[in-house]
Amino acid sequence: MSLLGQVSATLNKTIKEFLRQKTVLFWTIAWPIIWVLIGSFSFTGNVPDEMIPYTRGSITISMMSFALMTAGMANLPGNIAEDRERGLLSKLMSMPVRPWRDSIGRILALLAFSSLAAVLVILVGFVCGARFSCTMTGVLESIGFLLLTSFASAGLGMLIGTFIKHVHGAIMTGVGISVVTASISGVMAPYASLPELLQNFARIYPISSVNSSITYLLAGEKYAGYIPLTTSQTTLTTIISILLFAAGLIAYSRFCWRKE
Amino acid sequence: MDAINVENLTKRYGNNEVLKEVDLTIEEGEFYALMGPNGSGKTTLASIMASVRSATSGEIRIYGRKPESAREFIGYIPQENFSSPILTGRENLMYFAGMLGYSKSEAERIVNELLSKIGLSEDADKRVSHYSGGMRKRLEVATALFPGTKILILDEPTTGLDPSARRKFLGLIREVKGEKTTILLITHIGTDAELASRVGLIDKGEIIAEDEPERLKETSGLKNVINIETTIKSEKVANALSDFSEEQKVLETDLGYRVYCKDVGKVTPKIVRSLDAIGCKTTKIETVKPSLEDVFFKLTEKAVGG
Repeated sequence: MSLLGQVSATLNKTIKEFLRQKTVLFWTIAWPIIWVLIGSFSFTGNVPDEMIPYTRGSITISMMSFALMTAGMANLPGNIAEDRERGLLSKLMSMPVRPWRDSIGRILALLAFSSLAAVLVILVGFVCGARFSCTMTGVLESIGFLLLTSFASAGLGMLIGTFIKHVHGAIMTGVGISVVTASISGVMAPYASLPELLQNFARIYPISSVNSSITYLLAGEKYAGYIPLTTSQTTLTTIISILLFAAGLIAYSRFCWRKE
Repeated sequence: MDAINVENLTKRYGNNEVLKEVDLTIEEGEFYALMGPNGSGKTTLASIMASVRSATSGEIRIYGRKPESAREFIGYIPQENFSSPILTGRENLMYFAGMLGYSKSEAERIVNELLSKIGLSEDADKRVSHYSGGMRKRLEVATALFPGTKILILDEPTTGLDPSARRKFLGLIREVKGEKTTILLITHIGTDAELASRVGLIDKGEIIAEDEPERLKETSGLKNVINIETTIKSEKVANALSDFSEEQKVLETDLGYRVYCKDVGKVTPKIVRSLDAIGCKTTKIETVKPSLEDVFFKLTEKAVGG
């Protein structure tokens, strides 16, 4: 039995399904792009002219994080719930298929789709006048941080997809968690404007912490609101991201593929 | 050679015993239909064979192996439409070929053969959401026809299909069945079950009768059945008809009732008059041969479709 066969078959199927579903395209690509457009032209009224390109840059980074959040937390569980609801998981259980190969295929599809969404959001940001002040090392580090966002979101997404059985329930739970957590953790609102309790949450919640790290690397401390690139903060973010990912992977492999 | 051997199989969900010490043997190459109403345990039994569910106690052997070790032989088609509606027919089959470990070139060759076998070559590149119910079911059956499948387990495959699509679909199953392919058809439709070489009737988790379809009818003792289509269906109508039926048993069907009696010639006009008297018009009345639904009703006093 070919390992690559099962992984690449799942990858191909999942990416095609992501690209052909209007709700997926809307929440992961259109919605963040709409906010880049709105934010770039509406939220820069009181910003000094020389700061506008970097403000647009930080808005673009936030929307890129949001795109990755919805991809992992809404699209992935939606896809899992749909496959379960229409009996595909039962069919796969009757075949010589290993759950972890299916999981890897789904996650690779998510990474590919998330990358596409991130690139499109950045391109729209550039078109709107977003600029970044960064080095090549900063860009590479940011890509690493984006991977952490994807893993944390995928972990949460697999948990949602495992425990929420219905497709719309899974999607709306994912969208809801994305929107709410993005709003209260400094992804959609400036970190500095958050009350202390939420600032603490923003440092623990890996997606907002990563968002701040990327903003710090590409736009500067002023836009991040604090210095997130300390050893303790980066270690905490990495550990929580990996734990969420592992929890999602274990829950999916055990409970979605469990025999009744 | 036994393809499937089930011994003392029991399945419980809490206190609810869905299967009760079921014994069943299906030989290699046999076409076996398991017929019973909703909730009789037939889907549970099929899904345990396909290693989708586990048994509480008892044993299943597929060619002498546990179901989990025999998954490469089994082509299981669950009741639901599991194909992806936003992928094309070809893309769906390529996905399953990949899951079975075929290389791209091998998969393309086999998928083309399967599409031609199930008559979907021309529609292969259309999205499944544009397929009719029958086309989608044929596509799903193709996922179980990859080389190496020895046992086809079809769970209610004709549910939701119109009579014409159902006939076409079952014709296809007979055509694609290789000599050594064993088929287990789960159904609640008698005419579907009659295509099998052997039928098992299942009720409340127990197989209550098992034989060739014609022998099941013969041994049931049923001779004549009057099939009546009426303008209304009510308890009053059923009571009126029960006076004419053996043991006062009347089977309710989609369009009317079935009455069991010995002297059809004498009883038929009386039935029409009796129904007229209570204001129920008879739109059709005919004498027919007993069906497997009638046999099931005789044994359990329950409609298999209800």
